Amino acid sequence: MESPVPSSLFRRKKDNRRGITYGIMMIGASGTGKTSFANNLVESNIFNHEYNQNLHDYEISSKIKILSPTKVVSFNSKNGIPSYMNEFDPNRANLESGITITSTSLEISTGNDNESNIMESPVKGHKRSNSIIEEEEDTIFLNLLNTHGITENFDDTLCFDEITSYLEQQFDVVLSEETRIRRNPRFEDTRIHIALYFIEPTGHGLKELDVEIMKRVARFTNVLPIITKADSFTKDELKQFKQNIMNDIEKYNVPVYKFEVDPDDDDIEALEENQALSALQPFSIVSSDERNSEGKYIRAYPWGTLLIDDDKISDLRVLKNVLFGSHLQEFKDTTQNLLYENYRTEKLSSVTKSSASTNPDGKSTTGGKKTIGNRDSAAPSLSNFASLINTGHFKSSQSLASNAKLSKNDLSRLPATPELNQDGNNTNAGSSDVKESPIKQMSDDIRNGNEEIIRSIKKEAQSNDAVERNMLRNISETVPYVLRHERIIARQQKLEELEAQSAKELQKRIQQLEKKAHDLKLREKLLAQQGRHGSSTSITSDNASFSTTRSISQNQMKKNDTYTDLASIVSGKE
Amino acid sequence: MTTHSVGIANLPNQRYKIVSEKGGTFTIMVCGESGLGKTTFINTLFQTTLKHVDPLQRRHLPLKKTVDIDLTRAILEEKNFKMRVNVIDTPGFGDNVNNNKAWQTLVDFIDDQHDSFMRQEQQPYRDTKFDLRVHVVLYFIKPTGHGLKPLDIETMKKISSRANLIPVIAKSDTLTMQELQIFKSRIRQVIEAQEIHIFTPPLDFDTTKDSTTEDENAMSTQDATAAEHARQLIEAMPFAIIGSTTKYDNGQGTQVVARKYPWGLVEVENDNHCDFRKLRSMLLRTYLLDLITTTQDLHYETYRRLRLESSNGTDDETNNGNGDSSMPLKAPARKLSHNPKYKEEENALKKYFTDQVKAEEQRFRQWEQNIVNERIRLNGDLEDIQTKVKKLEEQVRSLQLKKR
Repeated sequence: MESPVPSSLFRRKKDNRRGITYGIMMIGASGTGKTSFANNLVESNIFNHEYNQNLHDYEISSKIKILSPTKVVSFNSKNGIPSYMNEFDPNRANLESGITITSTSLEISTGNDNESNIMESPVKGHKRSNSIIEEEEDTIFLNLLNTHGITENFDDTLCFDEITSYLEQQFDVVLSEETRIRRNPRFEDTRIHIALYFIEPTGHGLKELDVEIMKRVARFTNVLPIITKADSFTKDELKQFKQNIMNDIEKYNVPVYKFEVDPDDDDIEALEENQALSALQPFSIVSSDERNSEGKYIRAYPWGTLLIDDDKISDLRVLKNVLFGSHLQEFKDTTQNLLYENYRTEKLSSVTKSSASTNPDGKSTTGGKKTIGNRDSAAPSLSNFASLINTGHFKSSQSLASNAKLSKNDLSRLPATPELNQDGNNTNAGSSDVKESPIKQMSDDIRNGNEEIIRSIKKEAQSNDAVERNMLRNISETVPYVLRHERIIARQQKLEELEAQSAKELQKRIQQLEKKAHDLKLREKLLAQQGRHGSSTSITSDNASFSTTRSISQNQMKKNDTYTDLASIVSGKE
Repeated sequence: MTTHSVGIANLPNQRYKIVSEKGGTFTIMVCGESGLGKTTFINTLFQTTLKHVDPLQRRHLPLKKTVDIDLTRAILEEKNFKMRVNVIDTPGFGDNVNNNKAWQTLVDFIDDQHDSFMRQEQQPYRDTKFDLRVHVVLYFIKPTGHGLKPLDIETMKKISSRANLIPVIAKSDTLTMQELQIFKSRIRQVIEAQEIHIFTPPLDFDTTKDSTTEDENAMSTQDATAAEHARQLIEAMPFAIIGSTTKYDNGQGTQVVARKYPWGLVEVENDNHCDFRKLRSMLLRTYLLDLITTTQDLHYETYRRLRLESSNGTDDETNNGNGDSSMPLKAPARKLSHNPKYKEEENALKKYFTDQVKAEEQRFRQWEQNIVNERIRLNGDLEDIQTKVKKLEEQVRSLQLKKR
């Protein structure tokens, strides 16, 4: 956990002591070489390729320690099973695979000493794999995330939501930890500091998918587009493709990370470096699983062999240097100071929009102590907290007091507040006999429990003789719950969706089976009839002939009747 | 056999004359995501710049694309034989985020060609027929090294029931030999398991002919080599190809079509590097006629049969007023009702409409409730006032009584 202490010096010191936590996420269409790149990045062979869960040639560099093996952290698929685990099965290849996000925590070190303290990985049930890279005296806990299944669906829209919601969750976790009173000393920062976006080597430019994903992800992390499989381009083609991509990025306003050249920067070396990097962007890489006798990664083609870290062919070495060396701190800083701060402000102010707009100035100007009596009635809500944050004036009691009334109005608008939720419960109760799913029930229980906690905290606040500190304490206790609460609700929605989907699928299957059963029954009947036919054809035919003759005779009789009638009429007239 | 021939044996020669005067038509469709080298491949195949690669044109297109049909026509001449070549490109296929039903445009196009040909056949004058029936569809597979995507499978399934389908692995110069082998075998497995009928060169003639006409030695060996060739082609499927139009010196003084990398020269017509020659042989040299005849005899006939059958069926059904058949008689109508996209849209619109109605109803109900509440309140007020009035009246009366 990084405390929001502005002094980067302090942080660096701390980081060095504990090692640097660093999150990299790899996003890109399936088959662009993400897994191979990951293996090349840590110079080991520890990541499984698709359809190939058992690594034949497992090897791990001595500098690397796996803190927790690759685990699925989030997924979405129609059949409810993360496709990542699937073996290659040609019969099921036509099914959409959804999206799976996996995480691996590694510890990588370049130094000889390996005595660095190892972080325990799983926090809050999130299993991730951490790797620590030790450079000079630095130790890096690398959290490497991979996405599987993008472009393997007919409709890839669900991929966006899955990725962004995962990233948002990480921010939420940090936010709730930040507002806690007693912070977890072993809290692990799971935010992703840099996302590598793998562009398919089409030779044309960016696709809709590329633009959409990069735009969305850029809200939560730095995005660095890289061209994969650069060995499919000749020199001129690569140059043209890079140019096309930069043009597209410009044209569609994709907020990718740019190596900005700051003329005021006094560090000439850094300036030149950035200049060179920005000229090189987007980096093009080649990855491989094959090593030659010297242990270097190669790609061996019938027409020639190439080294993947050849600077003339790929920018892999440059990219590695940027990721783990020159720009590591930069990525972390932008994530923390820009992206996370923005998110935080947005999150906290979004819940208090109305109150903030009604008295934005009142807070800072008033400093009265007359309304202390009122203050204790102020329920600790997000809105109060946000106003505190916004102004930074903890002693502006007036605003708090005036907020007290407003906040109640606000509360009704908050999704996490008891009033609304009670409504929600009522409707739930009403519809419960119609549709009661175990997931819903479970989540309701969780929700109720959470509300209970939130409410009890609020009551406490009301009953207590109010001191400002007390209230702040309450706030800090509520916020994490509220956040967790929101997360749970989101989770629940997703589960419900999944459930509905699988229910639909089941329904379909049932229908199919029923149809089949029906068909079979029909066939059976037919067969049975045929079987009987063999023995009883003569009888039925006899019957048939009998009945026909009878009907004919009846007809004749009727005819006769009519004739007689006519005859009688005629005769009567006569 | 008599030594003096009557001249019957000259029929093939006469036929040859006619055919070479008339020329031939060949329609080829390329299909696959953008950036897989479809255009380059076409240019490589015919060794001319049939289609222009225009990077600037693409720049002006909007990001969200629909699947288009792009037709290029050309007349190629080789040894005085003229060949009309139609190349159908499908830009935009697989480029969107939502590629559901992306194959519909392709399938509709193929069906439309069959349909229009059938209509022309039914005309009283049918000397000059405009024939754009697709003889072969090349499906370009992205060289992921994983396997086929659901979109690939679905599209190939749909196409393979309507036209000759040949899957090819595009840009195979990004896969090493080993990777390519695994990739190919996976694709073959999927194609088999998913029952996708790809075009395969006819293999059966060697078994039939070898048993009957063994006396003709020359013929049988020819057949045997042809069979061997066909077997090789089948084994190499799906073909891994590389496209290029630039010629380079291959180090031995000859100019070859190739791609020049810093680590080597990839020759397009080198069997060790890719299967381009095999594919070309399949498409043009050896099995072009097979492709055209199977289109006529198999795919077109199937379409015609199904279509005529179903239109007869609708004739009967229209009497009953039941228009549920999947293929109504008229082509435009067929297309409209047939296209699932319209249905989706319709459903979405319906849903939107009902939602709106519901919301409005809800609002009205709320209003009504409010009005009722208001009335109750007002009634209450009225009662209060009335009781007050009564009380006052009482008071007045009592006061009056007192006064008296």
